[in-house]
Amino acid sequence: MQQQNQDNRPIIARRTFLKSASIIALLLCLSITSTLSGLFTRAAEAAKKNKRPNFLLIVADDLGYSDLGSYGGEINTPVLDNLAQKGVRYTNFYVSPTCSPTRSMLLTGTDNHVAGLGNMGEFTNPNQMGKPGYEGVLNKRVVTVASLLRDCGYHTYMTGKWHLGYKPDEIPHARGFERDFSLLSGGGSHFDDQWNVEWQRPKAPYTEDGRPLEKLPKGFYSTKNYTDKMIQFIDESRKDGKPFFAYMAFTAPHGPLHVPDDWLRRYKNRYDEGWDGIRKKRLARMQELGIVDKGVNTADRLWFVPRSTALTPALRVMLGRKMELYAAMVEYMDEQIGRVFEYLKEIGEYDNTVVIFFSDNGAEGNDLRAMLAGRVGSLGFLHAMNNFAENGHNYIGRKGTYAEAGPGWAQVSSVPFRLYKGFLTEGGIRSPLIVSGPGVQGAGELNKEAILHVMDITPTLLELAGCQHPATYKGHKVAPMQGKSWVTMIEGKIQSPRTSYDWLGWEVFGNRAIRQGDWKISWHYRPFGTWDWQLFNIAEDPGEQYDLSDKFPEKRKVLIALWDEYVKMNGVVLGERSPFEASRKALPDPVPEFDNYPPVRGVEAIPYEKLKELLGK
Amino acid sequence: MKTGNRQARLWAFLLALAIILSFSGPTLAVDDGARAYWKGRSGTQGVSFQYLHFNVNASDSQQFDPGAYIYPNSDADANIFIATWAPHFTLFNRPSFLAVNIAGGSVDADVNTNLIPPQYLPPGVSPGSSFSQSASGFADPNAQLVVNLFGTPPLRSGVDLLNYEPTWTLDAAGLLAFPIGQYNSDKLVNMGQNRWYGRIALPFKYHFGVFDPGHMTSLEVTPSVWLFADNGNFLGEKLKNDPMWQLEAHLTHDFTSSFFGSLDLLYRRGFQSEINGTDVGEGLNIGNLGFTLNYQAVDNLAIRAGFSSNVFGDSDLDNSIIRIQFVYAWHPSTENMKKLKSGH
Repeated sequence: MQQQNQDNRPIIARRTFLKSASIIALLLCLSITSTLSGLFTRAAEAAKKNKRPNFLLIVADDLGYSDLGSYGGEINTPVLDNLAQKGVRYTNFYVSPTCSPTRSMLLTGTDNHVAGLGNMGEFTNPNQMGKPGYEGVLNKRVVTVASLLRDCGYHTYMTGKWHLGYKPDEIPHARGFERDFSLLSGGGSHFDDQWNVEWQRPKAPYTEDGRPLEKLPKGFYSTKNYTDKMIQFIDESRKDGKPFFAYMAFTAPHGPLHVPDDWLRRYKNRYDEGWDGIRKKRLARMQELGIVDKGVNTADRLWFVPRSTALTPALRVMLGRKMELYAAMVEYMDEQIGRVFEYLKEIGEYDNTVVIFFSDNGAEGNDLRAMLAGRVGSLGFLHAMNNFAENGHNYIGRKGTYAEAGPGWAQVSSVPFRLYKGFLTEGGIRSPLIVSGPGVQGAGELNKEAILHVMDITPTLLELAGCQHPATYKGHKVAPMQGKSWVTMIEGKIQSPRTSYDWLGWEVFGNRAIRQGDWKISWHYRPFGTWDWQLFNIAEDPGEQYDLSDKFPEKRKVLIALWDEYVKMNGVVLGERSPFEASRKALPDPVPEFDNYPPVRGVEAIPYEKLKELLGK
Repeated sequence: MKTGNRQARLWAFLLALAIILSFSGPTLAVDDGARAYWKGRSGTQGVSFQYLHFNVNASDSQQFDPGAYIYPNSDADANIFIATWAPHFTLFNRPSFLAVNIAGGSVDADVNTNLIPPQYLPPGVSPGSSFSQSASGFADPNAQLVVNLFGTPPLRSGVDLLNYEPTWTLDAAGLLAFPIGQYNSDKLVNMGQNRWYGRIALPFKYHFGVFDPGHMTSLEVTPSVWLFADNGNFLGEKLKNDPMWQLEAHLTHDFTSSFFGSLDLLYRRGFQSEINGTDVGEGLNIGNLGFTLNYQAVDNLAIRAGFSSNVFGDSDLDNSIIRIQFVYAWHPSTENMKKLKSGH
């Protein structure tokens, strides 16, 4: 029964009122909570969606074009193959034929002759000394992508090889990396004995967070420790929510071919067959994968490399051991990259990380060890004696050794191209490239149309991060970027950032080249070239076997004019000397190679096992 | 490409392995030696010549060498040579070798007869007196066959050698001595034993680290047992001996690619002598420690020197052994390659 007040208005019982009020309040609360919750969720989703991507830039050192499984190689690289399935592989990605020029272009988006690495610092000519662009280190005319991303709110980390300067204002920490664990020089022991490739700096210079590192940790192995450090760097700063730019510049598989002991026999006897057979198999797989078109001209076996089927089984085993080590280094690197991916998945950042993988130049086929060791009695020789004199068949790959794969195996890594590191043939400058991550469309696809260059990476990252490339930086005028952003390409809107009219140019050690569309001219010292421009149609003749200069003289002229433009645009100063200038005396003139010449009639192909049986005794 | 250099390194490697040949110690008083059971490529042959100097002083014991009954209070000096031929081959698909040993030399002994029962004195020797005896000539030749049981694949080719990275290996070895050495039943001291005897051994080795010249380290342990037939004419009596148990061990290490050293152990037990059914003296219990240094002078030739002396077991049987050995090894492929390289 309702009570009434003095105005005869019904009085709601206090209890009933409170009860009703409570219910209404509860409903209101629920409604507000639900609304707020929805709002927050949507905001979080929006924030997540708008979150800037992380960048993981992985660079292998001297990895050949065909080494990865996803590019036709027999080397076991499941992590990178899986990355290729999630992302896109590109077949026309260009780098410089040597290390530091590539790195200078990678980090600045402009040509190496502008960035200070017109020549490798170790080979600067007298007539190049003091000229802008020939500082031998990353100069102040450029700003690195690391500096720009750091200023733009990114964490910037680097582990691995720098090779762009030694002085305090030239090292990674001074050029934009908040944290680093870096080898400043071009190479050296992969272990903790820390010897450097150069006798001038016998101890390999490392820095950690901008400070010189006197001693490497005991048990150091380059690929492992660079990975550990990168994971550590990311982990230590991840809670502030800032995105990161992580630059992993592995020194593998650059010589000396070193691997941890338990990896030494990972590929035991896998290369006893010799380079000819492995080359053929790789080419077949590349054709199967669509990396190489059937019917195009692929490179002959190098004319100064013996036919492996004509070598004794024992010698093949000895030479094969070097490739075993190389393959083990590549697989080990792949495994370590997998560790980084796993870590990123653990912290929930993998799906928000753009991963770019490539190699700094073609595979190494030069005898760097001999170059470094020099002649008996030289300081280089003394350095070699003290640090890497061991060469025993069962010992190579360990501390104190310096094994390299050599030209026979480098041409395998370069399939289907000619020559290798140091040369402006495709074998020296074409690199595998895998791009994967948020916004990358076309998972598992192979892009054969895009003509890409390592200079494109800086503009791509800046665009993805929403950052600008300035005209001046810290009071210095900054050279403009020459690379082209890939963003619209990776979003699937276009197939290539370049048209057939765009062109690319190269010059290192006096070797030079221009590519425009399918055409390429190149100039090499003899006997690798003709000391004159040669013209190739790269689409039909990626092996650069047929000089079309006589057939298409006008095309040649056009490209030579572009070369002149390239020289002018970038301040190229051709050196008076070149490491290749005396090659003509050391090597015979090239002749076409035929696998079955001279023929072995009646027994065209003797199976290896049979050969061993016949000759092994 | 410097194929020539690679070839040279290959052959240097092959030779380094080939030259590590196995030589069984042909006289019973010495061990087989360090790295005696390492296998070479099939077709490798080696010859060895070694000179050994023994000095034995027995204060109270009766015997030292299974072939020589050593009287108490006696001294003996021996200068022994051993020539060995050892071909390596594959037997039953296992890497194997045969070592044929021919030994000889001279032994000089001074004996005090105070403690010797009169019936065991040589003719014309009065009890309580001292006498000297010498012997010279060939000892009993022997041959030992060694077959790998585990751990070493057949080494038929250069490829097999290059792929050979042993960890532990086990061999079986059988030695038989032929009683045709110098023997005079009227003399105490002889070069031969006048009886058949032999040995069964199970050489075991473990390789540490890297199997590459300059980096090799191994522990080698060879347990064995010597078995003896009777000598029916030991001063007109019948001499019997119990089996002799032997443990030989070497810890070897490469100091450089052409120089290795070894710490050597030789322990022997058993060999109780019995003449006409009566035990004579006590069984053997003696351990020698020593060292060996081996230098690879040139591709084919190694020179080895060693010393050992008793340091445990019976203290009343002092002995020391000095050894110098030359080992020359070759393989037809290696020799033919040299011919080609030198233009012959």
